[in-house]
Amino acid sequence: MVGEGATLPLQTDTVLLPERVGELTGLDQFGVGGELLAAFLAAFIVGNIMLAMTGVAGPWAKRKITAAFTDRIAVNRLGPAGLLIIVADSVRLLSKELIIPEDADRPAYDLAPIVIASSALLGFAVIPMGSGIHLADPEVGLAFVFAVAGIASIGLVMAGYASANKYSMLGGLRAVAQNVAYEIPLVVTGMSVVIFAGTLQMSAIVEAQAQTLVSLGGLDIPAWYALVNPFAFVLFLVANFAEVGRNPFDTPEAPTEIVAGYQTEYSSVYFVLIYLGEFIHIFLGGAIIATIFLGGPAGPVLPGIVWFIIKIWAVFFLTQWLRSAIPRVRIDQLIEIGWKGLLVLSFANLVITAVIVGLIA
Amino acid sequence: MSTELERQQPTEVSEDDLEVLLGDRALGRDDHLNAPGFVIRPDDVQDVLTDLRDEAGFDHLSCLTAQQYSDRYESIYHLKKYADPTQEVSVVVPTSTDDPVSQSAEPVFRTADWHEREAFDLVGIDYEGHPDPRRILLPETWQGHPLSEGYDQEKPQIVTLSEHANPIQPDHHDEESDTMFLNIGPHHPATHGVLHVKTVLDGETVVDVDPDIGYLHRCEEQMCQQGTYRHQIMPYPDRWDYVSAGLLNEWAYARTAEDLADIEVPEYAQIIRTMSAELCRIASHMLALGTFALDVYGDFTAVFQYAFRDREVVQDILEDLTGQRLMFNYFRLGGVAWDLPEPRDEFIAKTRDFLDELPAKVDEYNDMITSNEIFQIRCHNTGVLEPEEVKDYGCTGPVARGSGVDYDLRRDDPYGYYENLEWDVITEDGCDNYARVLVRMQEVEESAKIIEQCLDLLEDWPEDERDVQANVPRTLKPDADTEVYRAVEGAKGELGIYIRSDGTDKPGRFKIRSPCFSNLQALEAMSEGEYIPDLVASLGSLDIVLGEVDR
Repeated sequence: MVGEGATLPLQTDTVLLPERVGELTGLDQFGVGGELLAAFLAAFIVGNIMLAMTGVAGPWAKRKITAAFTDRIAVNRLGPAGLLIIVADSVRLLSKELIIPEDADRPAYDLAPIVIASSALLGFAVIPMGSGIHLADPEVGLAFVFAVAGIASIGLVMAGYASANKYSMLGGLRAVAQNVAYEIPLVVTGMSVVIFAGTLQMSAIVEAQAQTLVSLGGLDIPAWYALVNPFAFVLFLVANFAEVGRNPFDTPEAPTEIVAGYQTEYSSVYFVLIYLGEFIHIFLGGAIIATIFLGGPAGPVLPGIVWFIIKIWAVFFLTQWLRSAIPRVRIDQLIEIGWKGLLVLSFANLVITAVIVGLIA
Repeated sequence: MSTELERQQPTEVSEDDLEVLLGDRALGRDDHLNAPGFVIRPDDVQDVLTDLRDEAGFDHLSCLTAQQYSDRYESIYHLKKYADPTQEVSVVVPTSTDDPVSQSAEPVFRTADWHEREAFDLVGIDYEGHPDPRRILLPETWQGHPLSEGYDQEKPQIVTLSEHANPIQPDHHDEESDTMFLNIGPHHPATHGVLHVKTVLDGETVVDVDPDIGYLHRCEEQMCQQGTYRHQIMPYPDRWDYVSAGLLNEWAYARTAEDLADIEVPEYAQIIRTMSAELCRIASHMLALGTFALDVYGDFTAVFQYAFRDREVVQDILEDLTGQRLMFNYFRLGGVAWDLPEPRDEFIAKTRDFLDELPAKVDEYNDMITSNEIFQIRCHNTGVLEPEEVKDYGCTGPVARGSGVDYDLRRDDPYGYYENLEWDVITEDGCDNYARVLVRMQEVEESAKIIEQCLDLLEDWPEDERDVQANVPRTLKPDADTEVYRAVEGAKGELGIYIRSDGTDKPGRFKIRSPCFSNLQALEAMSEGEYIPDLVASLGSLDIVLGEVDR
């Protein structure tokens, strides 16, 4: 059984991206400075992959996916399949006037978009994306991801409070209430995976899922935790939608209720940053789900990175699907579902998992 | 109609009974074409209305018309019965020109609140004892009353920005309450137009709502008073409820003016009217469904787009028929503008195709919306409007029927061709947002039934008997001082029009009773004590169109 994970050899043999970049460019010969530069370069590469997916492809794909669900065509005039709308959009958004409310609490108002965007991006540092694209592999990888993703909540509160707008304020308060209520089930459910894998290290969690769960007619079904413990998978998925603030849990923005929530007063570049931050957050959620439940970059034939991206996009697709099809719950109902439902279920899941793993191991 | 049997028929109250009831409070008679009218003293208003409501059963204050004559002001309370709207009575309250003060009817009928504010705003009658005597359609700083005699229309009025901008007011902080004042609108994604709801919040709970209307006031009554009966008024009704209910509005004017000028409409034209009006009702309910889903789902989601897709088919059919998509101007006094488009078979086949596909689409909506559990927890027991409140606020249409008030003018005060067709009035007892959605969904199906039967009739109608218009004189000049108040069942409820003729070819007074205006007033009863999302959903389920609220 996979509970053996505790004794799994740690993946010391894998070469992380910064080292590889160092070797390829020869920077590793220049001591600490060179290594630092190589690490920056590697981070630059990963950052760009993520930004290309979230900032460039994301909004376009979102339009196309939503259009498909709602019986429309969406962008199709600029370039093939409307792809050049991405360029037009960036010009439009970046050239808009940046309007800052007079009463805005300045440092906080300016910092919030940066905090929101960067916190989510930071999480990708420890995600193994396959094909050797893996920036860092600390022993507390999973905890690190949850920690930095949680920082976004601070950004939301800052944005909501500093905007000096009542709608922003309501949105900020909702965001805090929601994140507190759903972060706990999220982390607790993540812990049940840790019990299986016996480690917080991301690469080891992926490794643990590479084993064969069952063989069906010569086809090896891998021991992805989504298959080992589907209950935890569903719990995590639901908590994740609340965490990234998407339907049915998009109450912090709730366009028809509180205009745009915490981002009401943001325009131009600041708006782009917040918007981007939300997208990266959805993708980070997808990356965590892919890593701890869907075997990370594992998959046949295609290279790891391709599989990894496919899995992230599958989660993104699911969020868009829900957005098109499911109503939003009310804020009090959302809190109720979080504290009375998900929290209890996630602890039950944790206890049961611990007992089962303890009995088998 | 099956529901007719189950309804409790009220006892007829004869005019003699009313005279006995009012006794010497009735100073005289001022009968209207539609109802007996009793003239009373300005300080007897509450007394008389209370007696009429409690003793004679006139529980529906449909409308309040205010107007100025050369020697007096006049407030007319148009009363009806929810149980039988053909029983009507008008209470006429004259007040002197120097000191136009009349007792407020607000303590008797809650709906009088807004109607009297409008009367004060546009005509200038003061209502004594009114709880909130502010202007309602015009800005607070406006000078004069536009529909009063001697008002200078040419004089420009500048509404200063500081007065009218309604700057964000300071928080309503005090030691105990700790509430927050929030302006929802006039620019807000969920107000369905330019509506401004002044809201006081306690956390997320709504403590107080005060809808501020008038942003879309276009002097529709004034414009109708300046047009001739025959042709110049008909285009305006399209602009009241402009989303898709144009023909229903046109019918309100057609019915009133035809009663005033005693015009008979050929049967064939009545069938076309009935069919096209029901098409409008489907289009309007589709839009209501889509925008309500938008409010609850939170975005332009699948349901909204599906509803618009289906509405588009109706718009196409109406375009084929009338040549227009929204501002139809298709009805004429005495009939409709022209016959069905040639080739007839094609038009009828196209409409039938739509009707054939409709059941599957309604099933789809039920799958996606009404059976969705999240939708149910959002809509059950929110925006609750009890039947007594419905009557107090004068709500009509799907809002009233969603609260179990069985009131539909198409059946209760028959006009057009409705009484010859098989269909049912839909009511739901839920009194909440969910019930109102169910009512609209089922009404779409009932409208489809009506259209189906109309198509059958139109198809087989003998070719030489297809009269689309009666012979109506080129110029209509009804006798001076004839007064009539008539209503039809619009998409949002009872759409009534009061006309007083002054002997010329233009109305002396043209008053519009907008269902949205009365329905919107009930928002306070629906949303106070509930959460902001429920306020937004309730507003969506009222299905208001600001063009009709503000006129």
